[in-house]
Amino acid sequence: MEKMKLKLLYSDLKPELELIEKELEQAVDSESLLLNDASLHLLQAGGKRIRPVFVLLAGKFGDYDIELLKRVAVPLELIHMASLVHDDVIDDSEIRRGRPTVKSEWNNSVAMYTGDFILARALERITEIESPRIHDILSKTLIEVCRGEIIQIEDKYKLDQSLRDYLRRIKRKTALLISSSCELGALVSGTDEKTAAHLRRFGYFIGMSFQIIDDILDFTASDEELGKPAGSDFIQGNITLPILYARRNPEIYGMLRDNLNLDLSDEKRLEIVRTIRASSAVDEAKRMSERYLEKALKELDHLPKGSATKTMRKIAFFIGKRKF
Amino acid sequence: MNGQQIQSKIISMEIDVLKAVRQRTLDQLTEGPFVKEARLFFLLLPFFNGEQWSDKMESSARTVAIVYAALHSHDRVKEEMPISKEQQLTVLAGDFYSGIYYQLLAEGKNIEMVQKLATAIIQVSEKKASFHERTLQEPEQVEETATVIETALLNAFYEENGFTHYKQLMEQSLLYIRYTEELEALKNGEFSYILRLLSETLIQSTFIEQWLAGRLETLGNEIVASINDCELDFELKNVLLHQIIPHRHSAEPLTREG
Repeated sequence: MEKMKLKLLYSDLKPELELIEKELEQAVDSESLLLNDASLHLLQAGGKRIRPVFVLLAGKFGDYDIELLKRVAVPLELIHMASLVHDDVIDDSEIRRGRPTVKSEWNNSVAMYTGDFILARALERITEIESPRIHDILSKTLIEVCRGEIIQIEDKYKLDQSLRDYLRRIKRKTALLISSSCELGALVSGTDEKTAAHLRRFGYFIGMSFQIIDDILDFTASDEELGKPAGSDFIQGNITLPILYARRNPEIYGMLRDNLNLDLSDEKRLEIVRTIRASSAVDEAKRMSERYLEKALKELDHLPKGSATKTMRKIAFFIGKRKF
Repeated sequence: MNGQQIQSKIISMEIDVLKAVRQRTLDQLTEGPFVKEARLFFLLLPFFNGEQWSDKMESSARTVAIVYAALHSHDRVKEEMPISKEQQLTVLAGDFYSGIYYQLLAEGKNIEMVQKLATAIIQVSEKKASFHERTLQEPEQVEETATVIETALLNAFYEENGFTHYKQLMEQSLLYIRYTEELEALKNGEFSYILRLLSETLIQSTFIEQWLAGRLETLGNEIVASINDCELDFELKNVLLHQIIPHRHSAEPLTREG
């Protein structure tokens, strides 16, 4: 239902998004039936396609050309997909978006080959664009996303990490790729530098807000809504914003510390989820997300008024209010 | 160029790769970037043989080595449950090295090479996936799979820089080395993907040793012929036959005339 609501928000882009969906399917076409199946398995699990949407919307601020924009939108979504397949190996995840992960359906090796294959397809596609600036931005983003993931492993199970550690991590893990989606969409459409910079910052703030909401939902949504067990972040040792706020209560801190890095029973997991939910941590985290959202909206104030700005504003509000 | 200079250039390339992908956590907690010496030798072969060698080629060769390291890193990811911290970082090391490959070529504005290497990675991934499919019927198909895995990246480099006249020698040599390793593994009672595929495609799985020995014999002879076709100088031939392909016992002693 939530995904449908989001799709309604960008219904203006429906034909273009359908084209991108087809391009994504073509991009993962492989002479290996196994890679084809594994990639389609991932693709058909759906997703919000938020990165292609932002590429297209940013393109509206310049000379909108879907043929050019799709050359950026498709690789960006492929890069995101490739990272998801490898993330599931790292996190030992069995389920994503309600479906078995590639590593669970097949095995770790197949997941590694699938991720490599999809990333290579992304790079193959992006080379259709000649602009050195585009490659400079995207390659740096790719590396920063990896650095973010490495830091996430370093920070795992560290209950005493700072808020700054968390923000630095989600910036690299999520915000940068969304920020680059906006910036690259703007640049391939030939917008002026100022507009591209506002769009980049909009993407960054939205990305931060989006990830914080994701981290909140890990505690507030149900297993069914999430398509995976609630509290997965805590089980995997990822110390997210609700945990950082909740730990200030000494009693909760003790409970979190005593259960971190343990093979938790479902009962214990749900007890932790309920405790975080009942604390003020969720509301505090929401306020942080809203602060980023406000910053994102301020960036939109600098852009020309029109349908793209309107849709971006709607998406921003949706992200702040989404339930899962 | 003598043997020592060749070795020293290979080591220098290894160091360059290490420097390019340096990352504190990965350096501390993973094996680090690894590229087989033979692959580095063939990356640098045109340089060793006196071909015109620009900075762009050197940088491109280094990038190919980084991609080999990325794929090697992902090959090291095991099926263990739950996955260890080292294994998690090994996954990320491969991704990080891939990002560096793109960044280095983007910085050098060598987008054509980004595309060629991406296509080669796709070929290698597809062939590796065949380890988990039951699609290969003949040992020749297994050989084609092994050849692509070993050589697709190097071929991308040769094609980009007009060095395709080394292709045959490189493919034969890397396959020879791979089969030597597989034979060794077989004797030690280990069972690799290639060995399993061979056992499935040969009439009797007990024929694997014999088949590998036969292929090594043939490839050995083909390598000698290819060396002559490539007009390598005496020192280079010597290094190739006695250092890069160390198990090639049937290699005739070389004379300076070749």
